Amino acid sequence: MATESSPAVPSKQPSSQTSSILDPSNFPQTLSSETIYISLVYDPLDVPAYLRFTRSPKAGANVLFLGTTRDNFDSRPVSRLSYSAYPSLALKSLYAIAEDVQKKHGLEKVVIVHRLGEVKVEEESIAVSVSSGHRASGWTGAEEILERVKARAEIWKREWFADTGEVQEGVWRANKETDAQGNSIQSK
Amino acid sequence: MGMGKDTFTLLLFASASTYTGAETLTLPAPSSLRQIFTTLERMYPGFVDKVLKSAAVTVNLEYLDIELDGLDPASTDPGSTTGLDMLIKPGDEVGIIPPVSSG
Repeated sequence: MATESSPAVPSKQPSSQTSSILDPSNFPQTLSSETIYISLVYDPLDVPAYLRFTRSPKAGANVLFLGTTRDNFDSRPVSRLSYSAYPSLALKSLYAIAEDVQKKHGLEKVVIVHRLGEVKVEEESIAVSVSSGHRASGWTGAEEILERVKARAEIWKREWFADTGEVQEGVWRANKETDAQGNSIQSK
Repeated sequence: MGMGKDTFTLLLFASASTYTGAETLTLPAPSSLRQIFTTLERMYPGFVDKVLKSAAVTVNLEYLDIELDGLDPASTDPGSTTGLDMLIKPGDEVGIIPPVSSG
């Protein structure tokens, strides 16, 4: 057929460039409203600021979760790790999760902040802070947010292992391979 | 960003990026997904099996509802994986999204 075009063969070399979408100088990137604050940052997390944001005269409960980086995976020593993201899509997904769980559990305010780039062991890679009238919805809401973020948000962890002397390329982790207890899940 | 009149931007993340050694590719548009995947497989042999089959695809920040785990780029059967005839337009931003690992 005349309209059938040939496969998308680049005319010359496809132009490949260092991606500017992850240039640290373009961060932090934030999406927020009166009651929701979502951010991707390269600097260490400013936890007190997130608690200040979620504090509310209507809230009697404030729940904060901090995810910190571990020095091991499956008993193997991790020498360093870093996070990358699809920033515009991750912000959109994080906001949608925050908004949905906020409605579902009647949360007053929600903060989700994720760090990008290299994160030293013991430092925070993610903070989830929520406030609610009473504690039950706060606990449940914060947990649901975290689980949905880990399943969905377009953010990737790469780990380098000390026992290979970093000669190997870093390994991209996939959250669906481990459960909330850190146990490995047999995937299909 | 390269928003040419006859190209689209392909963003490669995580394993898609390390496998190809590229984070951003500017490719001709319009192109069907089938053409794009065929091109990627030709440029980076093994890409379909090692990366694409476990990945999702977004176009302008929206996920496509297509199953890639049965993908065979060599197949000429147009019905083998539905949705592959979708046309990517000039200026579109397409993302290859491997399994995520935030937190």
